[in-house]
Amino acid sequence: MTQDTPTDEDGGMNRRTMLAATGGTAVAAALAGCSTLLGDSGTQAQADDTDVPDEPIQAGLQTFTEGAAAVLGLQAQYGAELAVQRINDAGGIAGREMQLETVHEADAHIENYTQFVDEGKEVTFGPISSGGHAALAPEVESQGVVNVSTDGTVTTLYEETVDNPTYSFRFQNYDVMECVTAAREAVSRIGAENIDTIAGINPNYAFGQDEWKFFELAMNKLVDGGVESVYEGFPDLGATDMSTHITEINNVEPDVTFSSQWGGDVTTMMNQAAANDMFDNTQLVGTVLYSAVDELERDVVEAAEAVSGSRNWYWDFPNRSRWAPNGDTFSDAREEWDIVPTAHFMSGYGAVTAWATATAKLVDVIGGWPSQDQIARSLEGHGFYTPAGYHVMGTGHQGKSNAFSGRMEWSEDVGAAVLSDVNAYAPQEVSPPEGTTAEEWVNSW
Amino acid sequence: MSDDGTAADGGSASREGRLPGIVTRDGDRYVRVTRGLELPPRRAALGLLGVILFVAVPDLATLSPLLQLQVVHQGALFGLAAVGLNLLLRHTRLVSFGHAAFFGTGAYAAAILATHFDVTSMLLLLAGATLFGTLMAGVVGYLSLRHTGLYFSLLTLAFGQLLYAVVIGQGYFGSSDGLSVRPGEANQALLFGVEFGSEAYSVIVYYLTVLVVVVGLLVMWRVINSPFGNALDAIGQNRTRARFIGIPVRRYVFAAFVLSGVYGGLAGGMYGLVQQHVRPESTLYFLRSGDILFMAILGGFQTLVGPLVGGIVLVFLQDVGRDVTSYFDALTGVVLVALVFGFPRGIVGSLKRGSPFRERLGRLAADPSLAGTWLRGAGDAAVAAAYRAGENLRILLFGVN
Amino acid sequence: MPVDLSNLLVHTLNGVQYGFILFLIASGLTVILGILDVLNLAHGELFAFGAYVAFSVFGYVTGAIAPPSGAGGLALFLAVSLGAAVLAALAVVPLGAAIEAVFLRRLYGRDEVYQLVFTFGLLLIIKDLNKLIWGPTPVRVQSVYSGINRIPVAELVGLNFPTYKLVIIGVGAVVVAGLFWFFDRTKTGRLIRATAIDREMATAIGVSTDRTFTLVFALGAFLAGFAGAIALPQSTANLAMGANPLVLSFVVIVIGGLGSLRGAFVAALLVGVLSRWAVWQYPPAELAAPFAIMILVLLVKPDGLFGTWGETA
Repeated sequence: MTQDTPTDEDGGMNRRTMLAATGGTAVAAALAGCSTLLGDSGTQAQADDTDVPDEPIQAGLQTFTEGAAAVLGLQAQYGAELAVQRINDAGGIAGREMQLETVHEADAHIENYTQFVDEGKEVTFGPISSGGHAALAPEVESQGVVNVSTDGTVTTLYEETVDNPTYSFRFQNYDVMECVTAAREAVSRIGAENIDTIAGINPNYAFGQDEWKFFELAMNKLVDGGVESVYEGFPDLGATDMSTHITEINNVEPDVTFSSQWGGDVTTMMNQAAANDMFDNTQLVGTVLYSAVDELERDVVEAAEAVSGSRNWYWDFPNRSRWAPNGDTFSDAREEWDIVPTAHFMSGYGAVTAWATATAKLVDVIGGWPSQDQIARSLEGHGFYTPAGYHVMGTGHQGKSNAFSGRMEWSEDVGAAVLSDVNAYAPQEVSPPEGTTAEEWVNSW
Repeated sequence: MSDDGTAADGGSASREGRLPGIVTRDGDRYVRVTRGLELPPRRAALGLLGVILFVAVPDLATLSPLLQLQVVHQGALFGLAAVGLNLLLRHTRLVSFGHAAFFGTGAYAAAILATHFDVTSMLLLLAGATLFGTLMAGVVGYLSLRHTGLYFSLLTLAFGQLLYAVVIGQGYFGSSDGLSVRPGEANQALLFGVEFGSEAYSVIVYYLTVLVVVVGLLVMWRVINSPFGNALDAIGQNRTRARFIGIPVRRYVFAAFVLSGVYGGLAGGMYGLVQQHVRPESTLYFLRSGDILFMAILGGFQTLVGPLVGGIVLVFLQDVGRDVTSYFDALTGVVLVALVFGFPRGIVGSLKRGSPFRERLGRLAADPSLAGTWLRGAGDAAVAAAYRAGENLRILLFGVN
Repeated sequence: MPVDLSNLLVHTLNGVQYGFILFLIASGLTVILGILDVLNLAHGELFAFGAYVAFSVFGYVTGAIAPPSGAGGLALFLAVSLGAAVLAALAVVPLGAAIEAVFLRRLYGRDEVYQLVFTFGLLLIIKDLNKLIWGPTPVRVQSVYSGINRIPVAELVGLNFPTYKLVIIGVGAVVVAGLFWFFDRTKTGRLIRATAIDREMATAIGVSTDRTFTLVFALGAFLAGFAGAIALPQSTANLAMGANPLVLSFVVIVIGGLGSLRGAFVAALLVGVLSRWAVWQYPPAELAAPFAIMILVLLVKPDGLFGTWGETA
């Protein structure tokens, strides 16, 4: 376990190291959550001699604004909006203000993207759906307007679907990273010697099947002699009744029950599991259970003592009082949208940040507004800061950030579940090196 | 093009010219399109205008971002499936609630051939799509045509949902992520081995669709004006009587069902080529079946081209609706309700000469004050109905007697 | 694997509970279909509407009474919760009555496809109505679920089974008994059945088909709404919740025999229990199980398990 996030015991660093670290532009510093460090001169960072158009940057975001998946989709939207707000407060990118239009992704990912391009959007963000992302990415390649995805984390996207991408990027950590994180957490918290049997309750679609496959694979490698999978259930998305799966978990009593459920499905499962005393019989470990934070109630959280991943950000790690950008982002989200921000908030925030910081840096370098090709090239291998810490957009177009995991506990202060005893994993601990597929990598352990 | 455009059947007169042109019969002039298809000049002009508009869509789409080629294109394909479904609906009176099964089978057949077998030829992909759509129609038809009425509707729906459930559950079909239709080195299907740029590809595929749709309509026109089509009409009116006059009812209905599956499969295959990615939600889910059915009725199920028009309008409405309001479902819902009560013959049916809508329009033009009278009438009727509902509710809560 | 008896029992009870929810939804659909000869595609949305209204009613009611403690408190909480569910279902009644009296009535003489188009349009409108009133994201009331679960019932016999599910089974049984009593024993119920068997004859002997039809549609709406209210506490009310129950009630009424209430009851329990067993033994079957069961039944009994409405209730 490592920490890449800059944490100074004194609570910060000086302006020059900050600017240098974040990439040297005002926008980058603002998005890192450090605009206060800039002072007055910082907000007017754009050079006057650059040849940059006057009109605002039009950007499009497709995300789930309604339905069960809106629990994730709205967080991503709010995160993206906060990032845009911070960009504009810092004077825009090279003086250009950014305007973000959001549409409901529905099942029309290609249509949405095409419409964005037709309307003259210079960059697009989203989607949430992994199936939608698989459909969209090849279209992005042929239309050539950069898309930085907020989610859609299916592992095979840049391994098979688009194996040599140019314009399609993904900020969010992908499936294999959170599954390996969950497996490492399970082993380190419970102890390899105490794990003989595992079970899964995962959503019945490609994402759920993908996650369960990688968790199983990783566990078999991490535990000497392997583990036995004693039950695997796949409730439908939005299933109202998961009691058959819960009853069976109670019957087989696995040492670890893995779940990649998210949003409302987490709440349904955990409520029903608590009612069936499932938590007496197994330890629940999940990848994105925390996405249900705004719905989970105290008695259930306390009964479950679940372990949850938090993808690329947890808002209280390092602690808000020691790492100001986390605290600011947390209170901004609470004030403006009345939510506890989750990793999906950061997925929207980070996608915008990746594009904005790369573009701002490029304007400085070339002294004019860059083309789509130039932006796409400079995003490859681009490193930048958000309140979550340091991120790299890999040369394979997959973003890589620290992965977080912790134990879910109830907090009176927040009035919601929090993660305590949080561990952070550096990307190289939980993801394959560039050029290796996830499956080959895990199998090579 | 219209179906009840006067058919010149049989008589020696129809043999006088074999090429398209103008023919005169009983003192009226007709435009001869092909053997057996002769239209009055007005209809021919309208048909021609329709085809020209249809052909011009890619150019029109460049004028306004509101009109997207892809949207019209998708609408035309769902509309083509609806034309197939309409063969059952209009002539045999069978309401299929599972046509997405054939559309989806076609789309998935193309996707599987492209993804798992690396078939790059557009024409081969379409042939595969049509073949599998037809086979699926054969299986589903065999199992569900024992029933008529609602049982039939619900059975077709159940088969459709079963198929959806199977596809979602199998990794081979890409589960909910679906499969892409981007075979080979070029990452796209090829027409006669030629690779196109992204823009050109969509235009080429669009014109392929135009061709398929026009040929599809012509074939359907021939079918419904053939003795077979007449027999289907007889079956739709009264099955027992049809059997008594010697029509092999089961065989004919089965044939009609399979033929409608051909349209579904072909349209689905084209859809796969257009979208280049096929997902279960958008091709196989039961709401898609509903869409295809309602397209036929929206456009006018008593006409040949109605379902096609209905498809384009419904898809366009849903797409534009999403841009304009977050209540786009209700927008479609209101249109459907208005259709039922105001334009029961559908768009094309209402525009036809002699329809109540045309007749009312005529009366309104003659006497504009009628509009007020009608509005008052509608208001009175709504008030009366609301009163009646209240009255019934009172009885409901406090007893029937 | 030897089957553990108590495990089998819990899986079966899960299925029975699911079956009762299915029955509550399908009963309304089948009654409307049997008598009005209308397949109401908006039925699932009435179910959803009931759940949403229940969300508001539960929220108000459980805010008003203290969290349960002690036997008396728990009993009161249970009674108040059930009362709230009935109240929510009653709110769906005027909606149902208005739909029948204002719109549907004008469609009886016309081709059945227009009824389908109309009720489908209604489906879309009610869905957006729910969105307008309660917002685009799911809502839930967990307090009712966890409150009722505090009443220890199954523990008394050493089973691990939530009390709320037992409540659903109990309430479902009461509704079944009530419906059979209504259609078998009451004058109104018999008149309705008479109308279903022979509409003209019923009119001739002085039954007002207008009122009967409104009554039947409102009853169907009530049942859908009640199902929604009862189903809400253990999951959510959301915009997509109407679709699955609608399709599953199609399955139930086709297996049971179109329009047959008894058939719907037997079929609902059959689908409930068999599909839960199927999921238990072969989890990937979850989505396909009900349809597979339906096709199997129809291959053996092409007209469903029971005849059509009227002759038997």
